[in-house]
Amino acid sequence: MATVIYVPRINNNDDEVKVLAFDVSIGDKIKAGQIVGQVETDKAVLDVMASSDGYVLGFVAQAEEVVRVGSIMLWLGESKDEVVPEVQNLTTGQAGSRTSLVTAKARILLEKNSLHADVIPPIDGRVTVEAIERYLATKGGVNAETKPVLAQSSVDVLPDVEGTQMNLTREEKGMAATVTWHRDFAVPGYIEIDYDLAPWAEYAKRFQDEKGLLMPPLLPLMAWRLVEIVQEMPRLNATVVGNKRFEYTPVNLGFTIQAGDALYLAVVRNAQGVDEFGFVNTLGDVLRRAAGHNLRESEASGATVGFSSMERWKVTRHIPILPPHTALMVAHAAGQGGRGVLGASYDHRVLNGGQVVAALKKLSSPKKN
Amino acid sequence: MSLNKESIQAEIKAKVIDIAAQTGDDASELGLDEIIPATGLIDSTGLLELIAWYEKTYQIPLTQEEINIDNLGTLARMAEFVLRKKGLL
Repeated sequence: MATVIYVPRINNNDDEVKVLAFDVSIGDKIKAGQIVGQVETDKAVLDVMASSDGYVLGFVAQAEEVVRVGSIMLWLGESKDEVVPEVQNLTTGQAGSRTSLVTAKARILLEKNSLHADVIPPIDGRVTVEAIERYLATKGGVNAETKPVLAQSSVDVLPDVEGTQMNLTREEKGMAATVTWHRDFAVPGYIEIDYDLAPWAEYAKRFQDEKGLLMPPLLPLMAWRLVEIVQEMPRLNATVVGNKRFEYTPVNLGFTIQAGDALYLAVVRNAQGVDEFGFVNTLGDVLRRAAGHNLRESEASGATVGFSSMERWKVTRHIPILPPHTALMVAHAAGQGGRGVLGASYDHRVLNGGQVVAALKKLSSPKKN
Repeated sequence: MSLNKESIQAEIKAKVIDIAAQTGDDASELGLDEIIPATGLIDSTGLLELIAWYEKTYQIPLTQEEINIDNLGTLARMAEFVLRKKGLL
């Protein structure tokens, strides 16, 4: 039976990507995991891999074409001669074309919400419960097909000063979408505490020396501590959808990294499943790929809690925007005179100030073993 | 691209100078055997940028285990590591 490879998502906020090239031709026999082509946004290029063995039957997307995330990129068959099934429209939104990549739990959730799989942007090529929940959250927790979100009524006008209008890059559009979620859905608050820098600095130095690490591990270690705290306080790892709090099962730690002009939220998924050194190594891998504008699809979306630092810019206070569908973004900054400021933006629908202060106090020093 | 130790060291140093300049630091006096992270000339984000550039420029994908002081701590070690990975040393 013919199967498909879908156009993957590179980051959470780009619904379209450009197909750069195909590395395979019609009739080629390919193996699962083989790279079949590349897609890009303005700042990132992603290799697209086959999820199963098969023969290339045909292409739907074309090189240099800008296509929707989740649309069909190419068809695979069990034999060279297999016929590509007739599908009226091979892009996102058509019934029947993605059934094999929908998980069983996701299918139940789709039925419950009267949704079809093809409207859900997949994660790593699969429609999962997480993908559906994220889709629902972007629609305010309701099925947009049956309860349309009210159209924006305000219209911005050009300033009465001479100038030139520039098109936003994809990345700028993504940032605008993130900020809009923060504005439209979260009820943001910000709290900070003062703390002693020495215990963390000493712990990180000892850890670096013991492990022979090239990279100073202070921020990854603090991010790991946040993962531990989140497990002790599950409310930190949550969002509100509709009128219910939604507590995430995995801890997907999003970590901001500036790579050239691009600002990424690089994500370590299931961070609760590794130990401290494993987390430092995994985050190092993810950040290195971000620095090379080469994040994998699953590493560029799905954050459930965030960590941000502006220490490199010697900034002593910053108030981060909350990534979509998160309730907490820790703000690490440069210290002065042995003291530092540790802050956090939070969604007041999920957390109150006392809970955030409690979390920041725990984070202000390494765990006492 | 010329793959000899001196030219690789010079290329890497030029990149370090470029990265250090982003945060207002001058790395032009960086010695070949100085431990780069210990100089404070580039921070962890800068090191990530350096390593990502290094992998791409010399076409040597690194594992996390290889990213350590012994292999990549100085300009000289980084150049030697390229040659070793390419079987030229």
